[in-house]
Amino acid sequence: MSKFLRSFVFVIIAFSFLLAACGTSATPTPTSAPANTQAPAATSAPAMPASTATPTPLAPGSITLNGSGSTFQAPAESEYAFAFPLVDPAVVINYQPTGSGAGIKAISDGTVDFAGSDAVPTADQYTAGKDLQMYPFLAGATVLTYNIPELDPKGPALILDGNTLVGIYNATITKWNDPAIAKLNPQIASKLPAKQITVVHRSDGSGTTSIFSAALTSFSTTWTAGSGTTINWPADKAGNGVGGNGSSGVAAAVQNTPESIGYVEYSYATSNKLPFSQMVNKAGQTVTASADSTASAMNDFANSFTPQLTNTIVNGSGAGSWPIAGYTYIIIHQTSMTDCVKASKLVEYINWILTNSVATARAKALGYVPLTSAVQQLALATLGKVTCNGQPVMTH
Amino acid sequence: MTTTRFQELIAKNEVAHARRRRITNAVMLTITGLLTLLALVPLFWIVGYVIYRGGSTLNLDFFTQLARPLGMAGGGVLFSIEGTAVLTVLSCLFAIPPGVLAAFYVARNPNTPLGVALRFGTDVLAGVPSIVMGLFIYTLIVVPEKHYSAWAGGLALAILMLPVIIRTTEEMLKLVPHTMREASLGLGAPEWKTSLSVMFPAALNGIITGFLLAIARSVGETAPLLFTALGNEQYDLGTIVRGGIQSHQSLFAIIGRIINQPVDSLPLTLWKYAQQPYPERINQSWGVALVLMIFVLLIEIIARLYVESRKRALQG
Repeated sequence: MSKFLRSFVFVIIAFSFLLAACGTSATPTPTSAPANTQAPAATSAPAMPASTATPTPLAPGSITLNGSGSTFQAPAESEYAFAFPLVDPAVVINYQPTGSGAGIKAISDGTVDFAGSDAVPTADQYTAGKDLQMYPFLAGATVLTYNIPELDPKGPALILDGNTLVGIYNATITKWNDPAIAKLNPQIASKLPAKQITVVHRSDGSGTTSIFSAALTSFSTTWTAGSGTTINWPADKAGNGVGGNGSSGVAAAVQNTPESIGYVEYSYATSNKLPFSQMVNKAGQTVTASADSTASAMNDFANSFTPQLTNTIVNGSGAGSWPIAGYTYIIIHQTSMTDCVKASKLVEYINWILTNSVATARAKALGYVPLTSAVQQLALATLGKVTCNGQPVMTH
Repeated sequence: MTTTRFQELIAKNEVAHARRRRITNAVMLTITGLLTLLALVPLFWIVGYVIYRGGSTLNLDFFTQLARPLGMAGGGVLFSIEGTAVLTVLSCLFAIPPGVLAAFYVARNPNTPLGVALRFGTDVLAGVPSIVMGLFIYTLIVVPEKHYSAWAGGLALAILMLPVIIRTTEEMLKLVPHTMREASLGLGAPEWKTSLSVMFPAALNGIITGFLLAIARSVGETAPLLFTALGNEQYDLGTIVRGGIQSHQSLFAIIGRIINQPVDSLPLTLWKYAQQPYPERINQSWGVALVLMIFVLLIEIIARLYVESRKRALQG
C-alpha cells in the first residue's frame, strides 16, 4: 500500500518535471498548428471569399473566440455563445464579464480576441490599443429606481426632468417635496415627503455611470463633476450620497434605504421588477424607458457617429426620446489580427450578431434595444474593412 | 473526639471556599460554553444557509450540463467542475516538485545563506495577497502568450500553494528522528538514497496532508484566476477529447487544447454568477457554493482518513 503510494508520488513528480520542462515550449504548438496550416491558404488566396479561405471544414469547437468586458452585455453574449455554435460548429464563444475597463485593457494587451464595453475608450486607451475599432450592436436605457415608502407602488410613477435630476445629484435639491419635483408630479405632490433624499450611485468603474454622467452633463451646465466611468459625486461631499457595487449593489442600497434614488440599467430594473421614474425629455414630453423611446434616441443621433463608431445618445431632441441611453460595443483590432482563420470567424460572429433576426429578438427579450437599420448598415460597412495581415477578411 | 475551635474554623472556611469555587466554576464554565457556541454560530450558520439555498438548485443536470443562457431551464456547472479539476492537477504538478525539493534543502541545510533566504522568502510569499500572484502571472505569461489559459491559472495557484507545501514538508522532515538518517548514512547509503528511501517515506504522512491542505486552500481562490484563467462556460473535457479523436489529433495536441485555453473554476463561477442581476444566476451561485464546500470537505476527509490509515498501518 505505502510502497504503491510512494512510487505513485514519485511518478507524479517525475512526470511534472517533464511537463514543466517541455510545457512552455510544447503548449503553443496546438494553437499555432492549425494557424500555420490554414494561414498560407488564407493569404495565398486573398480574392476568395472568406468561406473558402478555410478549404477543409474545421473540427467542431476547434476555434475559441475569447472575449471579456462589460457586465451589461454579458446576458446577451451568453445567449449568443449558446446559439452561435449551432450556426458554425467550429466556433466556441467564450465571453467573461470582467467589467468594461478590464475589457478595454485586455483587448489592448491582446489577451482576448474581442472585448465588450459600454464606455467609450479614452484617447490614451485608443493610443495604447493602436487599432481598436468599436462596433455598437445593442443599446440600453438607464433608469432611475427610487424608494419612497409614502408613494403607492401601484400608483403613478415619479416624474423627473433633466434639471431636477442634476439638482438631486448635485445635492441642491435635497427634499422629496422640493417645489421642482412637486411641480413635475401634480398627481402625487401631496404625498411627497419632506424628507432628505439619499442619492445612490455606482462605487465601481462602470459604463452605466459613464452614460448617466454624460446625460447629466448634457442636461445642465450646473453639473460640473464631468462624465466618465467614475465620478467625484457632489452628493457624496454633501453627505447624502451612497455608493453601491454593481447594479445589484445600487438596487440593494435603494431598496434598503427609504427616500433614496439610484440609477440602474433598464434591463436590470425590469428583470428585477424595480420601480423606475419617467422623465421629461428635451422636447418637453414625459416619456417612459422602453425599446421604442431608446430607439427614438438612437435616431436623434444617427448621423453623429465618430470614426470609431462611438456615439453618445443622451438628451435627444425627439419627442419620444428617452434621455439617458447608450450603446454597448464590441471592440476588436481592426487591422492587426494575424490569425486569419480566427479573424474570419470573429467577423462572421459580429456579422451574425448584427444581422441575425433570432439573435436580435433574443436580445430584445432580455431588455436590450436592437440597432436601427442605419446604424446596422454603418457597423456592417466598417466590419467589411477588417483586414488580417493586410488582406480583407470579409470579401463577399 | 472533640474538634478544636481551630479545626472547626478550618472546616467552615473550606465549606465557604468550596461554595465559592463551585459557583466560580459554574459561572466560568457557562461563559466559556456560551462563547464556544457563539464561535460555532457563524460556522453552522454559513454551512446551514449554503445548504439551504444551494440544495434546492442541485440536481443531476447541475453536474452534467454546461451553462445555459438566461431564461432557459436547466443547465449546470460541469464546465466549472472540470475546470477546477484541471486547475488543481496543474497547480499540483507545478507546485509539488519544487516545493518538496526546496523543503528537503531547507530541512537539510537550515543555516546556509540559501536556506535562510528560502525560509524568509517562503514566509514573505505566504503573506502576499493572492491577487498579486494573478497579476504577476498575467504580466509574465498571459500578456506575452496573448491569451488566458488553464496552465497560467495553475501556475498562479501553484505559487499560492508553494509556501504551504514547503513549510509543512520541512516541518515533517524535521520530525523524522535524526538517528534514522544517521543509521542509513552509517550503513553506507549515499545522501540522495537516504533522503529518498528513508526520510521521505517516514515523513510521507505529514507531507501528503500538507499537499491536501495546500489544495484545499488553492481550490477556494478566485483572485489569482481573474487575470490568468479568465473563465470559460463552454469548456467541456468530453467535447475536447471526442473532437480531438475524431480529427485524429495527437495526445499532446489534445492535452494542449485542454490546458491552453481559458477555464473556469468553482469560486470563479460563484463570483461571476453572484454579481449578475438575475435571480436564477444567484440561485445557481448558491449551488456552486455548496458544491465547492463539499469539494473542500471531501479533500479534508480524505486527508484525515489517509493519515489515520497510515498511523494504524505504522502501529500495527
